[in-house]
Amino acid sequence: MKAKTEAKRLEILNAASEVFREVGFERASMSDIRARIGGSKATLYNYFPSKEKLFFEVIHQAKTQELEEAAGGLHPEADELKQELLRFGQKFLTVLYSSEAIAVRHLAIAESRRSESGKLSFERAVLPIEKQVAEFFKKVMKRGQLRTADAKIAAIHFLSLLESELMQRTLLGVLCSVKPEAISGAVRRAVEVFMSGYQRR
Amino acid sequence: MQLKKSDVKRQAILETAYRLFRAHGFEKTSMTEITAQVGGSKATIYSHFPSKEELFVECMMAALENYMSGTLKHLDASRTDPRLALLNFGSSVLNFICSPEQLEVRRLIIAEAARSGTGKLFFDKISALRAQLSAFLAACMASGSLRRSDPELAAEQLGAMLEAEMLEPLLLQVREDSPDDRETARAARRAVDAFLRAYAPESQQALQLEQCSN
Repeated sequence: MKAKTEAKRLEILNAASEVFREVGFERASMSDIRARIGGSKATLYNYFPSKEKLFFEVIHQAKTQELEEAAGGLHPEADELKQELLRFGQKFLTVLYSSEAIAVRHLAIAESRRSESGKLSFERAVLPIEKQVAEFFKKVMKRGQLRTADAKIAAIHFLSLLESELMQRTLLGVLCSVKPEAISGAVRRAVEVFMSGYQRR
Repeated sequence: MQLKKSDVKRQAILETAYRLFRAHGFEKTSMTEITAQVGGSKATIYSHFPSKEELFVECMMAALENYMSGTLKHLDASRTDPRLALLNFGSSVLNFICSPEQLEVRRLIIAEAARSGTGKLFFDKISALRAQLSAFLAACMASGSLRRSDPELAAEQLGAMLEAEMLEPLLLQVREDSPDDRETARAARRAVDAFLRAYAPESQQALQLEQCSN
């Protein structure tokens, strides 16, 4: 078997992403994906041992990128801090509570004992976002728009408040998809509590 | 105090089921196998637990419910300073849920809940526990030590903030060691302090604002 290359890996991920988008996860098959890139089934399986693994990678990568864009859009110089937080919160939850992202998160926790997926997920998605939000809060605190506190803890508190109404329900499958109205309500309540917990008095 | 015979049986079923579900998961564990290991008849098991789903939820939640009923007793709005009560409650809960066994149980619950259709049963049990925290917060709001607001939402927010620092890396196995008492106490303090600032009574907020502008 030939050595694995990053180019081939990306080619497979792109093809899989197309197939998942077109026919959905359930109906997508490894054969469909192989047909799109050519080559043998053995090669495909050598890169990704199952359709689930492939799905995890595709969705994880796409969602992480969207989350980073959302966090990158936080401007510490903005006049209205509350508006910034509302805007970010709306994007953050919309990405994180899409049905694909819920499925991937579910897998990351369920599989964390058997595979590296949990660890990778934390290192590639959770930590970088936390860091970006913490950087933002650090600048905001410096400008005096929030009380001085540990910016990393503030970021962790803020993100957990955003998720507080949704995480348990979706992880337990009580809630399978989240409507945009539910998201904006959750964001508003979280931002209000965060602001009163961290505003200067 | 001696347990009644049927309570002893119930306990034995719960323990065996807990062990088997943890070893083999929900799908691969059958009521027949549980019966075989506990002894007795299937009818006896079904007289205690109407379905495999309910037995699964009961045995997975038993330790947490037990522990929480002990911890929640200390949340008494009429007797203790709310901050102190919440700090004790917070670090006690964190110590328990961050233990390796409870983390494993939580992973299993998450892995199986949606698939086996037990998610709603788990959620109802968790909500019942959280209702006791919101009852405490509601009493604090009534007595004026917290500002008036939705106590259920406040309880969810406090729960999320308490777990925020430690749970995810532990659940995802990024972190292998268990946090010690000092670490859980520190996380609880930071969460409770941010929570109390956010829910401080309006009179206090106004006072603090005044002091600030002077």
